[in-house]
Amino acid sequence: MPATTSRLSPFTAKLLLIAGLLVLLAAESFFGYRLHELSARQEMIKADHAEVNSIAYGLLSVDQWQDEIAGVVTRQVKHFKLTKLQKKELQTEIEEVLYALIAKAEAMVEKKPKSLAGKIRKLAVKTFVNTDKIKAGVPAMARDIIAKADNPEQKAKLSDLAMSKFSDLQQAKPIDSALRANHQLFDKMYRKYQVGSTPALNSKLDHLLTAIRAEMYRYCFLILGCIVIVLALWWFLRKQVKLHTTLFILSLLFAFILLGVGLSASMIEVDCRISTLDFTLLGEHVLFKDQVLFYESKSILGVVEVLIKQPAIDSIGVGILILSFSILFPVLKLSSTGVHLLGRKSIAEHRIVKYFAFQSGKWSMADVIVIAILMTYIGLNGLLNSQLALLNIRSQDLTLISTNNTALQPGYIIFISFVLYGLILSTILKYITPNDAH
Amino acid sequence: MKYSFATISLLLGLSFLLAIGVFSAYKLDALSAERESLKEDYSLSNSVSLGLFSIDAWQDRISVVIRSQLHDFHITPAQKKDLQATVEKEMHGLVRKTVNEINRPQKSLGGKLKKLAFNALVDSAELQAQVRPFARTIVAKVASPKSERRLKRIAGSKVTQLTSQIYDSVRVANDTVTKYMYQKYKVSNPVAFNKRINGQLALIDTQQIIYVAGLIGSILAALTLWFALRKQVQLQTVLFVFALLFALLLLVTGSVIPVIEVDARIRSLELQLLGEKIIFQNQVLFYQSKSIAGIVGTLLSQPKPDTIVVGILILLFILVLPLLRLIAKGIYVLSPKKIAENVVVRYLTFELHKWDMADVMVVGMLMTYIGLNGILKSQLSALNIQDKTLQVMTDNGTSLQPGFYIFAGYVVFAAILSQILKRVSSNDQLH
Repeated sequence: MPATTSRLSPFTAKLLLIAGLLVLLAAESFFGYRLHELSARQEMIKADHAEVNSIAYGLLSVDQWQDEIAGVVTRQVKHFKLTKLQKKELQTEIEEVLYALIAKAEAMVEKKPKSLAGKIRKLAVKTFVNTDKIKAGVPAMARDIIAKADNPEQKAKLSDLAMSKFSDLQQAKPIDSALRANHQLFDKMYRKYQVGSTPALNSKLDHLLTAIRAEMYRYCFLILGCIVIVLALWWFLRKQVKLHTTLFILSLLFAFILLGVGLSASMIEVDCRISTLDFTLLGEHVLFKDQVLFYESKSILGVVEVLIKQPAIDSIGVGILILSFSILFPVLKLSSTGVHLLGRKSIAEHRIVKYFAFQSGKWSMADVIVIAILMTYIGLNGLLNSQLALLNIRSQDLTLISTNNTALQPGYIIFISFVLYGLILSTILKYITPNDAH
Repeated sequence: MKYSFATISLLLGLSFLLAIGVFSAYKLDALSAERESLKEDYSLSNSVSLGLFSIDAWQDRISVVIRSQLHDFHITPAQKKDLQATVEKEMHGLVRKTVNEINRPQKSLGGKLKKLAFNALVDSAELQAQVRPFARTIVAKVASPKSERRLKRIAGSKVTQLTSQIYDSVRVANDTVTKYMYQKYKVSNPVAFNKRINGQLALIDTQQIIYVAGLIGSILAALTLWFALRKQVQLQTVLFVFALLFALLLLVTGSVIPVIEVDARIRSLELQLLGEKIIFQNQVLFYQSKSIAGIVGTLLSQPKPDTIVVGILILLFILVLPLLRLIAKGIYVLSPKKIAENVVVRYLTFELHKWDMADVMVVGMLMTYIGLNGILKSQLSALNIQDKTLQVMTDNGTSLQPGFYIFAGYVVFAAILSQILKRVSSNDQLH
């Protein structure tokens, strides 16, 4: 390439370079735009995913508990059983009450009746009723009473009663309207993604997200490819001093696009969920899986937004700091390199311009570091799991809040590439600048 | 180089200081590791998954409440009155039903005779009047201490039956953890366990301060010595080499000792149930403590390529480059002019600071700490509830650890060294 370009006149060479790079720039912009679009789409799908799997429609929803409660009621009422011991105790209890009643009745009869009818009655009772015989019958009577209470038909009746009370409660206004709202939401989601059930919806969303992720990485690597081409061009044209200024200015444009994409595309994906909740409630096995507490993608501006919305002043300070490292410093840096190269000597060698052109680049790395550390603290949190594994405890037996699916996103790679590209550009600038770089 | 008496004594003195520094750093490392393992054990055995999030833990606490309710249960006069009314009502109903039954038009002769006899002998109004004494008998019988005990026994066994049907698999896990911890710390109950851990942590905290002071003190002493001897040109090389060794010590120590510790817990949750309190204490929601080397290691050990790339970049810019620069500085100062003027050595010594991001790391860590702390604080304070029936108090124990300060110390120290070297080398060029 150096051989061919050297044969061309400097003007045509410059024109060719500009045209070629502009095409490349257009390609990069297109890829960046697609990435930005996909990132927005991904955010929306994730929001839907989080909504559908939200803890509010699972663990905390009346809908989900309905079946469990019905099961519990049926089991507890229909299959209500007294143990032998309990039966024995109850038997004694009832017997005692019955004995007491008989004793009372006897005492009443024994009382001296005043009226004639009373006297006749006493006589009749004395003649016909043998209290000893009645007393002997008490245990059998008590057993009958218990058997009556314990009989399946009675229990079925009771459980029906309980169930009807339960469904009355369900049709109570607030619960009913909440349920209706839930169903409406789910219907809307089903229609939106053209599926018929929640599992189908989930698999469709997962499928969409995987597809989008693959596409995002493709555009991400295409963008990086453009940058590599630009850097390769610098290598090929390293002898063509006349073209350097043009090439540098165009390289700066690439950097600006890289910065824009890096800022707006999502950088980190925070996924916080209760992985399993598994227990037995009055004989009913209750199992909730993947209850999403929080599932969102955040661009670096999103992280800044979270920080600035905090009430504490120091968090707001950090938010502003990140904002300045991610926008203010890079923009000033890129402009300063341009100014240093093109501007008048007095401006070009101004201390502030030189600082931003040559020294400021690495501070953007602070953002990269913040995200990386956050990632290791939030996302790659295998501590509890590994401790449990050490003690041979299966972690799915416990209710864990898991954030293990937190992951980095293409925006992060783009932003790192921007920082590194910026550092390389200022190193290049040091070699090609006509001014003093130190 | 001539080894005069002054040089040798200086060498000895500086070696002594360096030895103190190394010893302190070594102890600090050991203490941090011990502290981390203590806190890990503590947070495992007090994990929210084994406590507040466990159905078994709730079952234990609730069945205690029900049992004590049952134990203290007595039929009060008011309840007796209610019971009396209920029984009376039932009995009135029964009598009415029986009377109606008998008074139905009878077809058989026996039935007719029975009806006649009944009506002759029994006055239904009188019968109704007698309901009250009978009901009183029943209530008195049921409320008698003996009967009450019996009923409590029945209810108690029923409660056991029901609670045995509410469980998850945490009990096994909890037993394993508890057994392991008690064996490890030679304690026998949770109170002793928590006390032992807290005692050891307090001890480690004070020791850590001592050794940080030892490390910083030895460096300050070396710097003072340097300042005092700044006019002694022939000693400058020795002093500079030792300064580099101190810097190396700071760099290594700062990167292996934890920098940020995140510790979020629910200090106490008190729920009023049936007039009694259900209490969960010290429920650890989240605990993490990491050194810079740990952060890099975590990033590198992930299966995802992007995480690994970030890990490599941080390793390169924050640990490897600073190390290379220190070595290059050493070579530059020690070796003869020819090597010292070598392009690579000069480049590493003077030009590479743009890529050396130890200083950025310090700012980044500070930002992460403040940001994380702020987010956790607001999230946890949202959990704080002061209610008549429910009281929740949370603790946010997020803090910067000695590693951060030591790494920051390295950055400051390295910056000073660069300044000095720049002055020295420009002086050289003037000569």
